[in-house]
Amino acid sequence: MSSQTQPPIEKKTIRLEINHRAVTCPEGATILRAAELNGIYIPSLCSHKDLSPFGGCRLCMVEVEGMRGYPLACSTPAAEGQKVLTETAALRDMRREIMELILSEHPSSCLLCSEKEECSGVLQTIRKSGVTTGCRYCPNDGQCELQALVEKLGITDIHYPIYYRGYEAEHDDPFFDRDYNICILCGRCVRMCQEVRGTAVLAFTSRGPKTQIGPAFGRSHIEAGCEFCGACLDVCPTGALADKTSKWDGPPDGSAVSTCPFCALGCQVELFHKDGRLSKARAHLDPEINDGQLCVRGRFCMPETTHHHQRARKPMIKHGAYFREVSWPEALDAVAARLKNVRPGEFLMAVSPDLTNEGLYAARKFVTESLGSPGLDSTARWALPGGADVWSRLLSLPISIKGLASAEAVLAVGLDSRFSFSVAGVEIRRALKEGAKLVTIDSRESNLARYTDHWLRPRPGGEGETLLALAEKMAGAPPESKGTREESASGLTTRDLDEAARVLGSGKSLAVLVGPAVFGRDKGGAAARALLMLAGRENTIFLPLYQGANTRGALELGILDQSAGGMRLEDVLEGRAKPKVIYLVGETPFLERPDCDYLIAQDIYLPPFEVDAFLPAASFAEAGGTLTNVEGRVQEIVQIECLPDGAIAGFVRPDWFIFSQLSSRVSQRGFVYESWRDVLRDISGHVQGFPAVPDRRPRRMTWKTDFRDVKASPESASGGDLVLLLEPGGFRHRGIDLSFVVEGLTELKLEEGFRLHPSDLAALGLEPGETLTLSWNGTEASAPVRADADLPPGAAAAWRPSAYGGLLHRRSLLPLFRQPDDVLSVRVASRKGKKSRKT
Amino acid sequence: MNFEEFEELKTHFSGEAADLIPVLQKIQGAQGYLSPESIRRVSRWLRISENEIYGVATFFAQFRFQKPGRHVIKVCLGTACHVRGGEQILDVLKRRLNIEPGAVTADGLYQLERVACLGCCALAPVVSIDGKIYGQTSVLKIQELLDGGLHHDQP
Ligand code: SF4
Ligand code: SF4
Ligand code: SF4
Ligand code: FES
Ligand code: FES
Repeated sequence: MSSQTQPPIEKKTIRLEINHRAVTCPEGATILRAAELNGIYIPSLCSHKDLSPFGGCRLCMVEVEGMRGYPLACSTPAAEGQKVLTETAALRDMRREIMELILSEHPSSCLLCSEKEECSGVLQTIRKSGVTTGCRYCPNDGQCELQALVEKLGITDIHYPIYYRGYEAEHDDPFFDRDYNICILCGRCVRMCQEVRGTAVLAFTSRGPKTQIGPAFGRSHIEAGCEFCGACLDVCPTGALADKTSKWDGPPDGSAVSTCPFCALGCQVELFHKDGRLSKARAHLDPEINDGQLCVRGRFCMPETTHHHQRARKPMIKHGAYFREVSWPEALDAVAARLKNVRPGEFLMAVSPDLTNEGLYAARKFVTESLGSPGLDSTARWALPGGADVWSRLLSLPISIKGLASAEAVLAVGLDSRFSFSVAGVEIRRALKEGAKLVTIDSRESNLARYTDHWLRPRPGGEGETLLALAEKMAGAPPESKGTREESASGLTTRDLDEAARVLGSGKSLAVLVGPAVFGRDKGGAAARALLMLAGRENTIFLPLYQGANTRGALELGILDQSAGGMRLEDVLEGRAKPKVIYLVGETPFLERPDCDYLIAQDIYLPPFEVDAFLPAASFAEAGGTLTNVEGRVQEIVQIECLPDGAIAGFVRPDWFIFSQLSSRVSQRGFVYESWRDVLRDISGHVQGFPAVPDRRPRRMTWKTDFRDVKASPESASGGDLVLLLEPGGFRHRGIDLSFVVEGLTELKLEEGFRLHPSDLAALGLEPGETLTLSWNGTEASAPVRADADLPPGAAAAWRPSAYGGLLHRRSLLPLFRQPDDVLSVRVASRKGKKSRKT
Repeated sequence: MNFEEFEELKTHFSGEAADLIPVLQKIQGAQGYLSPESIRRVSRWLRISENEIYGVATFFAQFRFQKPGRHVIKVCLGTACHVRGGEQILDVLKRRLNIEPGAVTADGLYQLERVACLGCCALAPVVSIDGKIYGQTSVLKIQELLDGGLHHDQP
């Protein structure tokens, strides 16, 4: 830990000789690294610059004067005055020998086939199956480290008997396939999963010729806790691990560094394109945020999200009974004609917090200036309970993602980083490896439970209160309420909290993470208050995690203030207000058509209900722009697809462009933008502190209003059979849930029905898949049940999506989503099980 | 191994990752094998993933992951027994019990093992059943034993 706080010690330079050439390298480098730094090539397979040396393949053998045998360059440190030879005849022979041995267990027709040169001519065929048309059985063909090495070593023949392992390829898990017949057991994936990710799903099992790679007891990756981050794929030198959606795309045409559009961390990704279309995304080695790591969404979900066959790519207008495709001018004219006639007070636009800054700003400008209406709202407001008051304060705290890794103590509240915010999870585990302590506050057994030093498990929904009690303890402040807050509200004892405070220590640097579920349930604002209280502590950084990729952008661009004057989404949902015209921009907070005369939707998919006009928006791949991440970095999304209008690309347009086109049609005060860069410039002229070009420096918010303390929490839910937790969740992107378009997410089966602790299921006499009906306040909802051992007994959980696009199968839960609370006390109304239960 | 026994076991160790192997040995000693449940417990306690533990444990031949069979049949394949037909005996048992050496039959009755030398080469080929040595066996004799003798002492 101390290395983080002390100034970096000047590394000494070492002088040595490689192949009779005098070279230098920093102290601590291996011979392999020293050679690399000086442009000298030493063959290697198992070593990887991000992983610890393994010494498995032995290809990197070298001769060092004065050392016996053939030391491995990848694990021998370079030393002053060393004399290294990398290309002697003996070494060359041994390397060839080793390579041949590796290849004797590796299908090698892609490497050694005598027809290799002529092969490309016969690769193409229009037949679907059953014929050999050139050996394209390895997805890595043409981009393979092994291939490259074989070529370098000039191997054309194998003198050992060929052995085929005959394992069955593993296709059952989502997102990537595994074929361990091609694996060369270099162990890179294992080290990646264990050392860097800290998930340790992969391990070497057995030994000798039976050595294999995989989870315990031959379990599937889903069962073994895999995060489907794809980090193992990215280091695999062979085609053993391959991305399901892009494995047969072949070598990509090019790539560009962009920003992940799926959450507020704003990871940097490298997008590859092939034939003008997005082919796959990989982590970018960006030292400021994700450092080569991603989560399942960033790594695997992008191509399907933008290429799914249900993607709506043409403007459509309802004419009488028909909903038909029209040209852009026709669509814009029709929409503008309707908007011109609407009174400002009868209009409501809802914009998604996943839109780019440019889209959000143009939307606001369109509504306020062109239409002169106060009717602008966003589910961003739901993601930030407490609103602009609270959140401009919270976002003015020192926020850091990368800072997590160097914290000496970490406090994680209501965070499960398996599939969301995984990158934060990786950073936490990095800190733990350096000796940091972890305290978690969670009523569920999250994926961090395995690493925690002290787990505070409050009653369901009590995370915010517990955090506040702990913050009071750590700040030495007197408890706000009389009696002990901790015992009344969270079900935890003072001793628990004392212990947690002790583990976190007083002098240590601390990182505090709060997950989105906590804010959602925290109607009393306890979590927010706790964070502000901890802000007084020295050496403390924060990471408040909320839903939506650009929610912070929406806050800064004034979308949240806006909703104070006009109608709100809740009013429409609960039938208190009936706007004449509703305009949904990437938002689908309804499962059914809201009550209005004219409904416009502008999105990348059609909403699950009838609309009067549909304007196809460009996806993250088709339009450039910027997103503001949780730290305030304004990061660019690169337009990776630039295909002309037509059958493939359709007729999609960026959101800001559509608004600018509409604006000149509805009023004199139209605005014209040529590109998103114009919009960003415009923003920076109007919004204080906003950069005029993408700027990756973090910014702390300045808050304008005085922080009004949120009212104390209402009665906690109690008195029913079960406590039902509605978890903010799913994989929202704009108006859809990603599990609707990304097959692999569906296979993770995160969204189905009610989840209950196995013991509660047993007590109710229910089997997984049977139906449970829960009631509260005279309303009921029913859904199938599923066992979830991570929940505390006595709690049920369902997941509350923030976008309903594609979630038609969740209609049975609709009554639940209509009510605002996230923690409910519910009764068991009926169940389709065997035994009955007396209550 | 139940909760109390496990808690008791914990008191003998400091809870460091380095304790892994001795802990696994203790558990195997107590319950005869390493169950998924016990590996999960060790994982939570030592904070090593179940997969890593499994990886380490499978590296050592001494660890088993299945409940031992009620009858353990060890077929010797040491030099002497091999020369005198141990391989055929193993082959027949494999087919008859429908398992590979190291595994247990689905009904939990038989466990088949191959061993290197049982130290009584003069009696080759040798098979040991539940610790009892059967010398100068043959494919036929073993079959008879299985047909008759073993089932009788079932509870
Ligand atoms: S996808 Fe990630 S978590 Fe899963 S095995 Fe690979 S590295 Fe490990
Ligand atoms: S799967 Fe790939 S990375 Fe993992 S050991 Fe095999 S070849 Fe190496
Ligand atoms: S953690 Fe967030 S920003 Fe990073 S890859 Fe995942 S969704 Fe994208
Ligand atoms: S690279 Fe050094 S042993 Fe594999
Ligand atoms: S070889 Fe079988 S007992 Fe010695």
